[in-house]
Amino acid sequence: MGATLLLLAVAMIALVSSGCMPAADSGCLSCHRGIEAVSASHHGCTSCHGGDGRAANKSTAHRGLLGGSNPSDPESWEDGCGRCHRYQLERVKSTIMQTNAGMIRNIQLTWEGEDGKTYATDWGKFFSPEGKPFEAAPVADLDNLSGELYRKFCSRCHIGSSNKQSYGAVHASGCAACHFSWNDEGTYLGGDLAVRGKGGHSQSHKMEPLPAMQSCTRCHSRSGRIGYLYQGLYDGNNSLVPTFRGEAGPVAASGLRSLSRIAPDVHFAAGLECIDCHTSRDTMGDGYAYRNMYRQTEISCEDCHGSGDVPPRFRTIARENEEPLRESRSYRKPAAMGMRMVLTAKGRSYSNVFYREGTVWLQEKRSGKLHKSPLITGTPEHRIAGHRRLECYSCHSRTSIQCFGCHTTYDKREKGEDAITGEETPGLFKESEDYRMLYPFPLALNQRGRISPVTPGCQTFVTVTEPDGTNSKTEYVTRFKGSQQLRFAPFYSHNTGKKAIGCAECHANPAFLGFGQHVMEGNSIRGTMICERSNDKPLDGFLLMERGRVKAYSAITRENGRPLNTAEVKRTLSVNLCLPCHGKGNDPIYRKGLNYRALDDTIHRRLLSGR
Amino acid sequence: MRWTILSTVACFLAVSLAAAAWAGPGAAKRLPPHRGLACTACHSRGGSYSDPASKASGAAGCVGCHRGYQAIFASAMGKRDGERRFAGRSWGKMDRQFWEKNCTSCHLTGCLDCHGDPHAISLPKTSDCQLCHKGYYTGWDYSGRAPREDNMRYQRGIAVNGETFLKMLPDVHYRAGMTCGACHGMRSLLPGGAPRGCRDCHRPSPKVLEHRVAAHMERLECYACHSAWGAQEYGTFMLRFRDQSLKEGFDLKPGPSAEYLRSSYLKKQDAPPLGINSRGRISPIRPEFIAYYTDVAIARQGGGENLLLAAEWRAFFPHTVQRGTAGCEACHDNPRRFLLEPPDERIYSLARDGMGLASFWSQDGQRMVNGSFLPAARYARMSAKGPNYKRMYVEKWKKFLGNAGGSSPR
Repeated sequence: MGATLLLLAVAMIALVSSGCMPAADSGCLSCHRGIEAVSASHHGCTSCHGGDGRAANKSTAHRGLLGGSNPSDPESWEDGCGRCHRYQLERVKSTIMQTNAGMIRNIQLTWEGEDGKTYATDWGKFFSPEGKPFEAAPVADLDNLSGELYRKFCSRCHIGSSNKQSYGAVHASGCAACHFSWNDEGTYLGGDLAVRGKGGHSQSHKMEPLPAMQSCTRCHSRSGRIGYLYQGLYDGNNSLVPTFRGEAGPVAASGLRSLSRIAPDVHFAAGLECIDCHTSRDTMGDGYAYRNMYRQTEISCEDCHGSGDVPPRFRTIARENEEPLRESRSYRKPAAMGMRMVLTAKGRSYSNVFYREGTVWLQEKRSGKLHKSPLITGTPEHRIAGHRRLECYSCHSRTSIQCFGCHTTYDKREKGEDAITGEETPGLFKESEDYRMLYPFPLALNQRGRISPVTPGCQTFVTVTEPDGTNSKTEYVTRFKGSQQLRFAPFYSHNTGKKAIGCAECHANPAFLGFGQHVMEGNSIRGTMICERSNDKPLDGFLLMERGRVKAYSAITRENGRPLNTAEVKRTLSVNLCLPCHGKGNDPIYRKGLNYRALDDTIHRRLLSGR
Repeated sequence: MRWTILSTVACFLAVSLAAAAWAGPGAAKRLPPHRGLACTACHSRGGSYSDPASKASGAAGCVGCHRGYQAIFASAMGKRDGERRFAGRSWGKMDRQFWEKNCTSCHLTGCLDCHGDPHAISLPKTSDCQLCHKGYYTGWDYSGRAPREDNMRYQRGIAVNGETFLKMLPDVHYRAGMTCGACHGMRSLLPGGAPRGCRDCHRPSPKVLEHRVAAHMERLECYACHSAWGAQEYGTFMLRFRDQSLKEGFDLKPGPSAEYLRSSYLKKQDAPPLGINSRGRISPIRPEFIAYYTDVAIARQGGGENLLLAAEWRAFFPHTVQRGTAGCEACHDNPRRFLLEPPDERIYSLARDGMGLASFWSQDGQRMVNGSFLPAARYARMSAKGPNYKRMYVEKWKKFLGNAGGSSPR
């Protein structure tokens, strides 16, 4: 008898601890038999989902479910994930992917929508990066055209709300936006027969502690399209060819777009996923509410590869409570005490990049595969005096997407869905476009005062049709920084190449300086692709040179951003005086400032006179 | 006899009025050249009363005076043999009726196609020529127009003759007010005729640095450098829809035939690649056409798709002439420009998309129909950058920068 009882007790303990049959959730599994375990550490159903796990019928069981099928939805995440993951939730509430403050602010700035207030997706109390508390107003209150644009056009790409309709862009809301994988259709394909084949669900109930790349590209596939470019996919002209099995191809994407294949980023080709470079603080935030994504992002190329002068920095893991140990718990090979972890640009430790025997290694988070990071510190090509202001990706971007001419109509006679309020209200946005290209791409000064690729951001021409059918605005160019002008935005395309753009390829081609495709005439540079609102201003650039003087007529967004000026343009072009003979970046003449008077010394005179 | 005298007088009047109309830019106002002619001067001749200018009648009413011009109907514009042959050896292999379905909207039907109102006959305006010479075809570019992408998202902006366009820098001659006819006189359009060449009007100035390079002057067409841009279409797809319901999801610009939609893998309108034309000179070249074919119904049943039927290039003269040019390295340091793109510099991965070519900028698998590609060895010589090249390169940039580089004056 004693033995029987003991056996029964052991069996019960085994069943309960395996998560198969928590008595409290036996009712759930009578319908959802076969459903995947979320993870080894998440037990039971009601502990996350709420509801009544003992109930015998669906309506009783589902009463009090948190967030419908998604307890991580912002509506319920305090009682869902947040009950255990308080540290993460507090960060995610302020992350720019939740507040969307950057998108809203940029639209306000570029659509004449500034009203002195700070907006976020929802009302909230936040802390600025300086630690000062502030309140953000809900974007539903932004009562102008820029608010309309955000709510009806841009707000679907936001982790706070789900998208269950758009092919290829479907995702959940809240934590599940990144931590559960969806297929392109948003169909559940797991073992729970009650849900199997139904739309509006992740493809499996298994949680992804490490978000898959496809989770990122659900949103990061528009505007800058970095999720596509990284993988070597280009939605170029949406030509819908070559066809794929008779459908628009070669790869179908959201919004009736088609993707063709281009050379991928060198890191993608090596097997790196988004999460292998980007830290959780890049995505989930660090608790502060940043104004723009470029302020929240903490990583840079130099972190792993060093700069021309300074090698990557590191900090040794010395305490048990250090971030890399906690962050790497779900990695194939977690970080360990004593490891010398490389630091991000903000001085925090990576959890998968470290020094070992004088070499920087990056370990893939999912697979544990090691990659040796090439260090550039001290190499002559990276110590060119004139290149000190260049971002690495000015030379090392293979391509950079540029969408020219964004013609947006807002028709008050038709209704559009406000994705924030869920209501259909008067005013429908439609877009048409002029042209897209990948290469060459223009450079200008970014917010760090460094020279960076820039991309139209945006060349918006606004037409507003009133209820009576008249246009109150026709192809209107909005005011930015005080004057009506188009904008370019600093941009890293995430289509990095190992091989840099050649010296002459850039220095002798003024398209890289922002002149667009062009001809050189006397000492003028004239654009050949023209904005239709002008007779001479290029559409695919922002500079003109007339008799040696450079004129800029588009703004570069972001603080400190601006196009190169006459002196800088001439300084860049002057290098052509040296390049035909000194054609390599490792030539010693480039390590100090160039002295063009050398052209007049005896050796150069003899060489140049042909004697 | 009376009729003979009358018609002689009429012809004399016509010729003199035509001459007045030709009096050149100085002529303040052109009179309709046929004003004052008797109706029968045109309408009775050759027995065609209703349509004396039609191709069907051999333009009988016109050629009585404008003798010999009926040969226009045997010219390239009249017969379109080249295009017809291309259609036959490409898409025509898949659809024998391809030409009739897609290519017959632009051909000469008579003198009035170009000369306008029959009772106010005029010299063709540029816009008259552009009724046919539009889209990808040379002539559209002269006014600064390049084709837009085929997806309806890009079919926006002003349209002329139903054709939208990207606004480009017009040809310098267009900006000066010259019409097509200024170079392409009527005679030049007849079989065996030739338009005015650049050097009929221009003498290259030796003051221009590039003109001092003997190889440039001997081996290059003027427009190899002076055509600033040219429409280029890489991968022209004809998608066949035997059933109209299959078109869903293909939001492309409708064409002349409901059975087909056209799209292209990539359109560019920058300085086009260069090759060797039939005169043996370096000239701009472009795809005409890299032809693909998908029969959507067959493809959906697992049959073939994206069949590469031709990969043909032609030397052409983009009518986008500017005084200025690109820099030296745009040719001398740019293998892609000669379809010699190094594999590690490829941007578009055609092979991975099953396009049957490794790169559009590789000569492999492609051919020139009116000339040849530049041999790799010749490009290697050209890009070797000898001492003379280096001297002139420095001189050019010095001149451009106005010695702003910091060098002291000599």
